[in-house]
Amino acid sequence: MSFETVNSKVVRAHVGPGTPVLARRGAMLGYSGQVTFRPVHGQGRGMGGMVGAAMSGESNPMMATEGTGQVLYGYKGLHVTVLELDGGAPLVCEADRLLAHDATLQTSVQFLGSGGLKSAISGAMTGQGLFTTNVHGRGAVALLSHGGAFPLQLAGQQVGVDPQAYVGHVGQLSVDLAAKVGFRDVVGRGSGEAFQLRISGSGTVYVQASERKF
Amino acid sequence: MALLTAHRRVLHADLQGDRIRAASGSMVAVEGNVDFKSSGMGGGGGMRAALKRAVAGESLSLMDCAGHGRVYLALDAMDVLVVDLTGDTLTVESEHILAHTEQLRLDVQFAGLRGMTSGQGLATTTVTGHGQVAIVSEGPVMALEVAPGADLVVDPDAYVGSRGQLSMNLVSGVSWKSVVGEGTGEPFSLRFTGSGLVLVQSAER
Amino acid sequence: MTYPPGNPYGQPQGNPYGGQPQPYGQPQPYGQPQPYGQPQGNPYGGQPHGQPQPPYGGQPHGGPPQPPYGGQPPQPVPGGAPSGVPSTLDPHTLPDDDNVNPYVFCIALNGEWFMSKGAMLAYYGTIQFDAVTEYSSVQAWVASRFSSPVYIQDWVVAQGHGKLLIGDRGFDLNSYDLDDGNLTIKASNLCAFSRQLELKQSIVPGFVTLIGTGKFIASSNGPVIFVEPPFRADPDALLGWADCPAPSVHHDAQWMTQNVRGMISGALGRASGEERQYDFTGQGTILLQSSEVAREDPAVLRLVESQTQLLTNSQAGALGQRLIARAQQQ
Repeated sequence: MSFETVNSKVVRAHVGPGTPVLARRGAMLGYSGQVTFRPVHGQGRGMGGMVGAAMSGESNPMMATEGTGQVLYGYKGLHVTVLELDGGAPLVCEADRLLAHDATLQTSVQFLGSGGLKSAISGAMTGQGLFTTNVHGRGAVALLSHGGAFPLQLAGQQVGVDPQAYVGHVGQLSVDLAAKVGFRDVVGRGSGEAFQLRISGSGTVYVQASERKF
Repeated sequence: MALLTAHRRVLHADLQGDRIRAASGSMVAVEGNVDFKSSGMGGGGGMRAALKRAVAGESLSLMDCAGHGRVYLALDAMDVLVVDLTGDTLTVESEHILAHTEQLRLDVQFAGLRGMTSGQGLATTTVTGHGQVAIVSEGPVMALEVAPGADLVVDPDAYVGSRGQLSMNLVSGVSWKSVVGEGTGEPFSLRFTGSGLVLVQSAER
Repeated sequence: MTYPPGNPYGQPQGNPYGGQPQPYGQPQPYGQPQPYGQPQGNPYGGQPHGQPQPPYGGQPHGGPPQPPYGGQPPQPVPGGAPSGVPSTLDPHTLPDDDNVNPYVFCIALNGEWFMSKGAMLAYYGTIQFDAVTEYSSVQAWVASRFSSPVYIQDWVVAQGHGKLLIGDRGFDLNSYDLDDGNLTIKASNLCAFSRQLELKQSIVPGFVTLIGTGKFIASSNGPVIFVEPPFRADPDALLGWADCPAPSVHHDAQWMTQNVRGMISGALGRASGEERQYDFTGQGTILLQSSEVAREDPAVLRLVESQTQLLTNSQAGALGQRLIARAQQQ
């Protein structure tokens, strides 16, 4: 099942008996048919996922949509990008970017970038959002962005991305968190922005047209 | 030569060993080998210009982007417009400047009372020379023509910039004040007379 | 500096974000061609500005080719020049009572219009703005048209001759033509209406009903989505409705029980729109938008305050204490 793009900010899901949908709570705009909503607790699967979620603040409240009907999803007027996952490489994104996805997809929490637990914690403290959600499997995902997400295709080269503007990525990509000397003065508006995500490999990186997170 | 192209809400700046100036913090992604360096307020201009800016309160923090590659620039999901200047002058509110090519000169012009009412400082920025300047706006910019007999009145919050032989006056008046009596909206609007173009954005904030 | 009449929304060819695969999926019209109203170049007709549109490039304003920016057809940008440069507009090339772009509407004013305070972007001509409260003391008809004391302070009468450009927070603007009809719309999204229409407060808080024959302009976060009953809408996403009975409130029983369970386990999320919806039945049309960050609407305070007259003194005191406690929590 896929999401039908109603406009740049709204998607429609056809929910059926075998095709429930997981969505961000509060993202349901309206529905027709016999549909029920059920809160889902805990973003990741298993203990590690739960711990990661608690540490990262990535415990994004989700809900399951079940039954038979058509449901419209959107969130705070943000732009929506629909991606089809082919079961290969997972989609990596921040949990709060997930508007909705097929319930058959699996999610887990991961720390993005190099460095051990220490930098993970400092990352979480500075609000860098270095914890990400991996979405595995075959199915459709609707991602949120401020102003729309544009794809950057990588075929071996490297791209630098503002962490605030980073939406997600798919493919055989490695991500490094680079603290660039002097970058803070130029790019930063606060102390927390002295970083740049260095992404290389082959795949697609999605970037939004804004440094505003939500 | 550096080329700026607008892609709706994202500006592509293609650098070939040269440099552009862009609003600080506006880089969302970068490909290639590009260095970023703070170029201070308004892109230099010496001590006198800096002082003038400090007095005028027109703040514009820019960074130099130099090297080879493509820089993706964006500000708050605002629409991007690239304007080609061929020796003429564009007047633009500094907060709407996203980037400009190296050859252009930015200067501060005192705007009299207008700045006081719109809360954007007492001055406005002029861009002069040959090159490209990228401006951002809430929604697409409209270029409204002003001619003798066709004066234009604009909400200060919707005003982006202008070019041509224009003079600007405040419109107030008892009725307008009573309209805004409750603190929303602007107590003044701007009346443009003469001949030229006024750039207006789609949102009033 | 030049302003060639270019395509105002990015480059005409395909996706200006770089031609990568499927950036936004394919926009499709929601439901069937518009079921309501006059077929004259507005969203209620079917030539809409408010239709689902290619969000990045494609044709300007999506849908049917139409002259953007005052009748100039979109032209290929010559010589790879920067895209997005608008053609110039003047009082003659601005459209009459039509959209300039998806976010700006141009009223050809010749007489009076009701206008939301602060909706004015710019105007040509001789136009005066008076508070509705003041204007009604001069012109008796005003009071009969604008019968909502809660909202009257947020509105002005624009009077005169000229071209008046209005906008609302950069939202999409649509015009609606009523022909001896009525349409209820979220008050904070109503931008302007012609003097022939009558405005009344809806029973549903935060909404107003427009009645009669005439035109009005309303904003929406993203293009308007039209659906038909039976339908349940999140209150935040509901923009308005026409021809159908006022909605009732539906509580999702399963959600409620799940949340009670969640409360016990201590993992309760915030209240969200899923447990409570507006339920529409019967025949008619429902208008939806992408839910927005709620704007502080000064009228809500007046609305709630007027309701407190129903309380006894001791009830009012209890309410006051609860409100103080809430204010201290934040």
